[in-house]
Amino acid sequence: MTDMVYPLPAEPKVSFFQTLRFRLIVSVALVHAILMGAFVWLAVTKQSENIRTDLINRAHALTSLMAVASTNALLSENLGSLAEITGRVKRQPDVVYGAIVDIRGDVLASTDPAQVGHHIDLARRSRRSHVLDLRDTVRAAGQPVGTVLLGMSTRALDAHIAETRDQGVAFILLAIVAGSLVAGALSYVITRNLHTLMGAARDIGGGHLAARVNIRARDEVGLLGGAFNAMAESLEATSDQARREHEKRTDAERLACVGELSASIAHEIRNPLSAVINSVKLLGHPSLTAADRTQAIGILNTETQRLQRILNDFLDFSRIRETRPVADDICALIDEVAHLIGEDTQARAVRVHVQSADRPCRTLHDPDQMRQVIWNLILNSVQAMPDGGDVYCRLVREGALVRVSIADTGCGIPDHLLERIVRPFVTGRKQGTGLGLSIVQRILMQHGTRLEVMSHVGAGTEVSFTLEAA
Amino acid sequence: MRRAAWRLAVAVILLWAGWGGARAAEARYYRFGVLPLQSPTMLAKMFLPLTDALARGLDHPVEFVTAPSFASFMRRVRRGEYDIIYLNPLLYTRARKAGYRVIVKVAGEPFTGIVVVRKDSRIRHLGGKGLPKGLKIGFPDPNAYAATVMVRQYMRSLGLSVKRDFKVRYFGSQDSALMAVYYGLVDMAGTWFPSLRSMPAKVRRDLRVVAETPPQPQMPIAVRSDMPPRVAARLRHLLTHLTDSAQGRRVLDHLGFKQGFVAATNREYDGVKP
Repeated sequence: MTDMVYPLPAEPKVSFFQTLRFRLIVSVALVHAILMGAFVWLAVTKQSENIRTDLINRAHALTSLMAVASTNALLSENLGSLAEITGRVKRQPDVVYGAIVDIRGDVLASTDPAQVGHHIDLARRSRRSHVLDLRDTVRAAGQPVGTVLLGMSTRALDAHIAETRDQGVAFILLAIVAGSLVAGALSYVITRNLHTLMGAARDIGGGHLAARVNIRARDEVGLLGGAFNAMAESLEATSDQARREHEKRTDAERLACVGELSASIAHEIRNPLSAVINSVKLLGHPSLTAADRTQAIGILNTETQRLQRILNDFLDFSRIRETRPVADDICALIDEVAHLIGEDTQARAVRVHVQSADRPCRTLHDPDQMRQVIWNLILNSVQAMPDGGDVYCRLVREGALVRVSIADTGCGIPDHLLERIVRPFVTGRKQGTGLGLSIVQRILMQHGTRLEVMSHVGAGTEVSFTLEAA
Repeated sequence: MRRAAWRLAVAVILLWAGWGGARAAEARYYRFGVLPLQSPTMLAKMFLPLTDALARGLDHPVEFVTAPSFASFMRRVRRGEYDIIYLNPLLYTRARKAGYRVIVKVAGEPFTGIVVVRKDSRIRHLGGKGLPKGLKIGFPDPNAYAATVMVRQYMRSLGLSVKRDFKVRYFGSQDSALMAVYYGLVDMAGTWFPSLRSMPAKVRRDLRVVAETPPQPQMPIAVRSDMPPRVAARLRHLLTHLTDSAQGRRVLDHLGFKQGFVAATNREYDGVKP
């Protein structure tokens, strides 16, 4: 006996996005993105803050310096000195504008000479984008005597911040790509062994119990591989043991079956053979009357016919050929059998009814074998109703199957026979050989189905089986 | 007819513009110009409390301003850039020609020029023949009346010619002239008492007055002629009554004019000559 090889189920299609590999890559990329994002955000924020603080401090220092430097010139309205101050301020980096305004709001000096002499409303000065506007009050003896205005460009600052941010984003992307590559390599190393395990598991699932994995890793996957191999060893040993047990049991059952069959045949043959022997002995007796002779000859005929029928049935049982299923109309087949049987049973007032929602009703079956099945089952029903009755043949669609049921209103099968009724030489009738239902069951098993029997004594019997719809 | 209508329209526009300009002028600051006798910050320290007090009293903002030099100050005076001016008597005689009129003058202390030397100087007085030739003398400005003009007049009366007997240097302000003596840049300097008093105590202690000129009319405060009489009268009242209140006296303390101001007329300055 060889190992059983089972057809493997189709390998389930797993999207790449559902694999451990993808999840590991995404996890690492996500962690990189979050960590680098936080780091870059902090760095950019800190650097921006430092640069902004530096600019603001520089602007404040310059403004204060302007205020101090311009105090005397402002008080004395020394426009030349004030112009020199604003001129020097203008030369400072990032300075957009600078102006010195007296207490009235009149511009005494400005980096824009066109503004000098004009009055400006300090409270309503419009703000310009990318310009840091600062002002400082010029004080003398603790009292305000004027105001210095200074505008510092933040364009360089903004550009620097943008550059830092862009660098940060580039770092994040680089980290994600690098992390994903590393994660991809790592996941390949990890899942490679898992794939090996999966393949071996599929082999074992397919019946190749000798499948083993060779995983050298000393990690959890390595341990899993070892456990898998141990499991496979145990499974193979158990399978071998089960196979040996099965062989033993099969041999014993076969021997028992041969014995039982021999006993059944002997039992079935012994009675008619005894009658034949006795009749032959009786025919040789000199004092035999003509009437006795005629009776003995009649017994000889009856019992030899019975012996012949037993042998024919037995041959039929033993010579059931291989099934050749084709798509065929089971309903027409039942109609045909019912018609033939109906011709024989009309005198006994048995009515055969065929009921089907679908006509034709095509199923996969061997027509010759299935004809024998239907014939045997309907004939059993007819024989169960010696006083007449109804036989109902129904075809019912059950999804991809068609259930064929044959019910009668006969005497029913006693409970003690119901479980064994499909075994050879088990029958509830004196004239039966007990091989009809055995033949039916065997043919149905070759069709991948089996006979189901429901019966109530005095109420009737219903037998059914399913066929694959064509 | 058409020409008459145009003239009328132009006249209306000019009147409207003039009325608006007057309103604007009235609405803006009164500019109080102070002769740059000392450094601007020193003058601000002295005069800002006064301009504050005047602004409160007039219920109108008053701006303290000075000038880089006597000359520029007088140019602005001539252009009428100041509403109120504080200057020396000599320059006032010129300001009168530009349309200013005196309302008050510094009270009490006689207006004299002084000559100061370092305390350790061998110069004790200017008279006599003991004064060595070629001494260096510093002045704030050629137009500083007490410090320069009056001192030079006084020296001339003593038989000394500044141009001939001294090496003259001008330092722009009273403070600078005094500091020049203190640091030994010059042997003596012409100045006046308010400036000497405003110097730090350490400087004052190391300086000594060796001559004082005969008195002249005190430093005046004048207003521009177009100042409304009501405002000018109010200004005079405020200035002459500073001594009446503690707040006013604090203002005077800053100025160094303990006795405040008294009303003055143009006639008092008729005798002032360069």
